[in-house]
Amino acid sequence: MTIIEATNLLRQKKISTVSLVKECLARISKYDAKINAFIEVQNEKELLDKAQEIDAKGSFNGSLDGIPVAYKDLFCTSSLSTTCGSYMLKKFKSPFNATVVNSLEEAGAIMIGKTNMDEFGMGAANVYSVHGPVYNPQSILFNGNHFGKNNDQRVAGGSSGGSAAAVASGMCFAALGSDTGGSVRLPASYCGIVGFKPSYGQCSRWGLIAYANSLDTVGILTRTVGDAQMIYDVISKFDMNDSTSITPEVRSINSSVPSFFKLNSNTDDLRGLRVGVPKEYFVSELGEPIINLWKKGISYLRSHGATIVSVSCPNTRHALSAYYILAPSEASSNLSRFDGVRYGYRSEESNKNDDLLYANTREEFGKEVKKRIILGTYALTAGSYGSYFLQAQKIRRMVKLDFDRVFKRPNPLHFTKKDSKCNENKVDVLITPVTISTAPKIEDCLTNNTSNINNFINTYVNDVLVVPASLAGIPAISIPFGVSSIDGFPIGLQLIAQYGDDDTLLGVAKVLEKGANEK
Amino acid sequence: MCSFFKIASTSNSYNNVLKSLRYNIIYIKKFSTHNLYQKKWEAIIGLEIHAQINSKKKLFSKSSTSFNEPVNTNVSVIDAAFPGTIPRINSKCVQLTVATSLALNGNVQPVSFFDRKHYFYPDLPAGYQITQHYAPISLGGKITLSPLDGLDYETDVKIKQIQIEQDTGKSIHDIKPGIALIDLNRSGTGLMEIVTEPDIRTSKEAGLTVRKLQTLLRTLGSSNGNMEEGSLRCDVNVSVHEVGTPFGTRCEIKNLNSIKFLMSAIDVEIERQIAELEKGHSIMQETRGYDVAANQTFRLRTKETLTDYRYMPEPDIPSLIITKDYLKRIHNKLPELPDDRKKRLMNQYNISLRDVTSLMHEDGGVEYFEEIAKNRNPHHVVNLIIHDLYGLLNTNNIKFNHNPVTTQQLGSIIDSIKMGDITAKVGRKILTLMVMGDNRLSSDIIQEKGWKQLTNTDELEIICKDILSRNPKQVQQYKQGNKNLFSWFVGQVMRETKSSANPKLVNDILTKYLN
Repeated sequence: MTIIEATNLLRQKKISTVSLVKECLARISKYDAKINAFIEVQNEKELLDKAQEIDAKGSFNGSLDGIPVAYKDLFCTSSLSTTCGSYMLKKFKSPFNATVVNSLEEAGAIMIGKTNMDEFGMGAANVYSVHGPVYNPQSILFNGNHFGKNNDQRVAGGSSGGSAAAVASGMCFAALGSDTGGSVRLPASYCGIVGFKPSYGQCSRWGLIAYANSLDTVGILTRTVGDAQMIYDVISKFDMNDSTSITPEVRSINSSVPSFFKLNSNTDDLRGLRVGVPKEYFVSELGEPIINLWKKGISYLRSHGATIVSVSCPNTRHALSAYYILAPSEASSNLSRFDGVRYGYRSEESNKNDDLLYANTREEFGKEVKKRIILGTYALTAGSYGSYFLQAQKIRRMVKLDFDRVFKRPNPLHFTKKDSKCNENKVDVLITPVTISTAPKIEDCLTNNTSNINNFINTYVNDVLVVPASLAGIPAISIPFGVSSIDGFPIGLQLIAQYGDDDTLLGVAKVLEKGANEK
Repeated sequence: MCSFFKIASTSNSYNNVLKSLRYNIIYIKKFSTHNLYQKKWEAIIGLEIHAQINSKKKLFSKSSTSFNEPVNTNVSVIDAAFPGTIPRINSKCVQLTVATSLALNGNVQPVSFFDRKHYFYPDLPAGYQITQHYAPISLGGKITLSPLDGLDYETDVKIKQIQIEQDTGKSIHDIKPGIALIDLNRSGTGLMEIVTEPDIRTSKEAGLTVRKLQTLLRTLGSSNGNMEEGSLRCDVNVSVHEVGTPFGTRCEIKNLNSIKFLMSAIDVEIERQIAELEKGHSIMQETRGYDVAANQTFRLRTKETLTDYRYMPEPDIPSLIITKDYLKRIHNKLPELPDDRKKRLMNQYNISLRDVTSLMHEDGGVEYFEEIAKNRNPHHVVNLIIHDLYGLLNTNNIKFNHNPVTTQQLGSIIDSIKMGDITAKVGRKILTLMVMGDNRLSSDIIQEKGWKQLTNTDELEIICKDILSRNPKQVQQYKQGNKNLFSWFVGQVMRETKSSANPKLVNDILTKYLN
């Protein structure tokens, strides 16, 4: 059931909020011991009381009244703890709610619980959590129905793996994740659901515990594009508390520029739409089933009238290395506040030596986090700042320019009135794969299995298709588009649009998702 | 939030500074450094001044700035670096820094941004300080020192840059042994860091530069500039070289908290460096502290152990864009600057540089003076303020900005003296009452106390004649030549009139009748 369907049934009084909540709780108790999507589930009695309250009110005026949702455990909530999947914040309770949590609550959504994640958002497989890995619901729910053999345990993808798995297994209707370098799109693709990363600054980051501030965006995980749009409409607004939130002025400049799906909303007619296929995304690691579905997606859009053009984003191949300098640099800085002095875990031992201050406490970061802290710390040292950090920033700018060059719409962040016109020879959206393969096996992703250096590097290579949009801050969405002809696990396709053109992105995505069921 | 954050004691060097400050006797040796190096050696001095921005709210949060308030009462989740928080710049802090830059003839940059400076310390909750390392808000500018400031010559101290940054919290190491207590009230307060070029040559120039900057900041209202309270803090870079040779290696002296200590520290550091060089040793680049008790600088850390701060652009705060319109608006709102003000006051009221300097030394002193001096003799006004009011406030331990005497009250005293109702001496008595809290005007106090001078000649003549007739013996002695008795007669009249007689009139009348 989608949010849209549930909302309609609630309004027609054909179902109750209590029944929705009970169904979600039932699924959690049935499957979550195996999937491990939730870190903390809201107290059942409180949940049902709240659901009853909403049913008793009976008005369902809020766009999300009575809809059970979940939050990745890096969104601050004052009623449940917020651990970031880390021992460092094991029992941490934030004194405030994230802005997006408040927005959804005001719209009537009910928080079912907090979902599992890679520690501080660092990972692509959701195996680096102090609460244990998240298992792909496809291998739990449909075991036997798939081509997969028994015990074919796949990852849910990371870092928002808990959120993706919870939505995919019906434990909630929607979940928020965060996308720094694909952390919403990857797990969405692996779990067979929709993962939407809006433009940087559309949704407030206040209360989203930062991994890499300049890349972090709130991400939306739902079962359909329409549902993603419903959540997006609630949380996409200016927030004074987030200095990087898109200002009302830029929002108004942005909406003054025509975009395809503002003119043709809710239509399957894609005539006039230009779709780019960036050739650099055809990487050698792409699996055969993925390439086939990519082709299928392209012809589906063409069959609805879209014009398909080949485009080039030449700096794509540098994006991953730039990302793995910039993200850890910001992370090493962000994580320095975890000293145990004011909140979080604190070691009983202490070292009075200035150089080793907090060393005993900070020892409890996980292995992957430590690795990235060390990497980022190195990139920021006086000797390497110029040759690493600054170079990576340059590449980031080049990646942005690549996108600006292929899109019709000017980038509202730096266009003047002079060039605010669209260039009709260019494209509205790009279509690419999300991942190089279906969900990997759990044991291949655990890095204590480092005997195979290729596995180790592959966990990073996986990000190659999703990181460029993150560096550019532009909107991207992963849409389930079928299953692999080899192993039966889901495959998603990615659409990418110009900065601020989230409407066109969602519009095209709504058409594309229908193509998943066509032969 | 709990009021004390306990953490293990950490900094040995910091403890040493505190220990050294605990010695009781503070004795500053007089140095003749000035003569010593003028012959052969020259000192090169630069200042880094941190001034707390005079804003009600902190730089990146809505909590109040505070001084001497209960610990950890003005702390928000941003100031304590809670996860999920994002700083948001306070435009008031930008405005005051821009005003300061304009007043120092600096070039306010159209685009500047913030950086993170990383180091671990318990009073730095985020593990980094947000500052402006790569692109500060203002470049250039100068402070001109001249005879107006008390220097024999004129010299320019160029400003290298002004940057906005956040203050740290405070670590308190000596309340509980082995435990550092953290107060985050100060954490996140806005600071302007003003960095000079190494244009200063003597401790006197350095002292005058800081004093002049203090006055400027107070005039602009951009900082209280109070070194004792820590709202203005000073680091100084000192090197020496033989005249005609390249500059020497510099040492930085940290945390100087009064102009007096700043000057003494510079003098002893110059002396130390010259002595080292004359012994054939070289100077190591290092950070030093100043031990007030011993009047010596001492090593805090050498260059080898300097922290790598790993500066990184602050991703949470967009660049600061300063438009020409904005600059113009601030420029138009700038108050009269100290040098202009000095010249104008001297010309307009014909009062001395010394008096002007004294007035300007207190925040609001000039405005106070000018309000009272409207339609009154400026000399009388300035004398009563500087010689009497300042002294009385000082003895009663009242800061000028808490001065209880209103301009109307002080003006009423001057008026009463001018009308001949009271003597200057009674005027001081009235001022004393006002400083103690009497909020009436001079005339009301005079009336209640019966201090009005007798200026009625007829009445005084009757009293004088009565005194003379009651004391024939003394009159006779006076007439026989004991002229000292004159003042005795005056005294008798004064006693009779309870000191309210106009002394000049009493003199005249007694002279008339006795001679």
